[in-house]
Amino acid sequence: MRVTLSDTPILQTERLTIRAPQAGDEDTLIPFLMSERASWVGGGSDCDLGKAWRIFSIVAGHWVIRGFGTFVYCDRASGRPIGSAGPWYPGNWPEKELGWTVWSPEDEGRGFAFEAVRAVRDHVYGELHWNTAVSYIAHGNKRSRALAERLGCWLDEDALPPYPDEPTWIFRHPGPEGSA
Amino acid sequence: MIPTLTTERLVLRAPKLSDFDRYAEFRASERARFVGGPNNRAQAWQQFAALAGQWMVRGYGRWIVAHGATDAPLGVVGLHHPEDWPGAELAWSLFAAGEGQGFAEEAAIAAREFAYGSLHWPGVFSLVDPANARSLSLATRLGCQPDGVFQHPVFGDMHIWRHPTARELRTT
Repeated sequence: MRVTLSDTPILQTERLTIRAPQAGDEDTLIPFLMSERASWVGGGSDCDLGKAWRIFSIVAGHWVIRGFGTFVYCDRASGRPIGSAGPWYPGNWPEKELGWTVWSPEDEGRGFAFEAVRAVRDHVYGELHWNTAVSYIAHGNKRSRALAERLGCWLDEDALPPYPDEPTWIFRHPGPEGSA
Repeated sequence: MIPTLTTERLVLRAPKLSDFDRYAEFRASERARFVGGPNNRAQAWQQFAALAGQWMVRGYGRWIVAHGATDAPLGVVGLHHPEDWPGAELAWSLFAAGEGQGFAEEAAIAAREFAYGSLHWPGVFSLVDPANARSLSLATRLGCQPDGVFQHPVFGDMHIWRHPTARELRTT
């Protein structure tokens, strides 16, 4: 039996196809989650296979429960998954987030995440009718901070972090009018 | 799409956002002590999302058991299969509101029929904490036989209860 998420949107950009997660993404996602590069986003070199699979389930299940969730962005020509970008709103989050990851170090520095997040941000404002969004970035994750700044975000000192004990940079995105 | 099963009094359906408060209450309660709890709301969200997402990852999973007439959530029953499990488990957890009315048995039978009839599995097992008397009693009522112990680094020792196989159920 094959169970897929139904009626999920597909976004296209110049280089990317941006779609809901699907079976098969784990081949690329799980090695990322178990690598040191994922230590900023809940994985890391101490993340075992069981935890990595569970994170994949959570990513998929967020779509079931909320009706939206983080997208997987893929090379438009080949369909190869590159990373995740999109809305993230667990039940304990203070407000709605836009998150992102780049799964392989070879894909860093090519502007893929920037391209994906811009398209997803247009989607959450235009289709999901969000009127604001934040990105929670683990304190010290400079690459991610640089992307937030490139996306026009600013540090919002008044916003609340999801986990008060974990030092977090909270970046506020330009709103629906300012992001186009 | 997650399939929906209907029984005489119940509907087994996909989890939805409006179930979450009831689920989080269950995970925060003493009732969750046999299933790795109690858990805070952040942990409960991850568990709730993971149970929904397992359907896509595995092609099978657990349902919210809801009251057939009111759709009120009563518990979680279905085919639970974390990566570090010995296989797919027929699991059941009832919220306080669902206890003592035979709902877990009714839902577990429907889930077992789904595993055998729709997924064509030859057999299935359940894992039960030996201190969980209510759950042991249900395993017995469902015709299960003890079949060893599964040791888990977090959940500790869980007893394996093997259900009657699809073939055995057909011939009885």
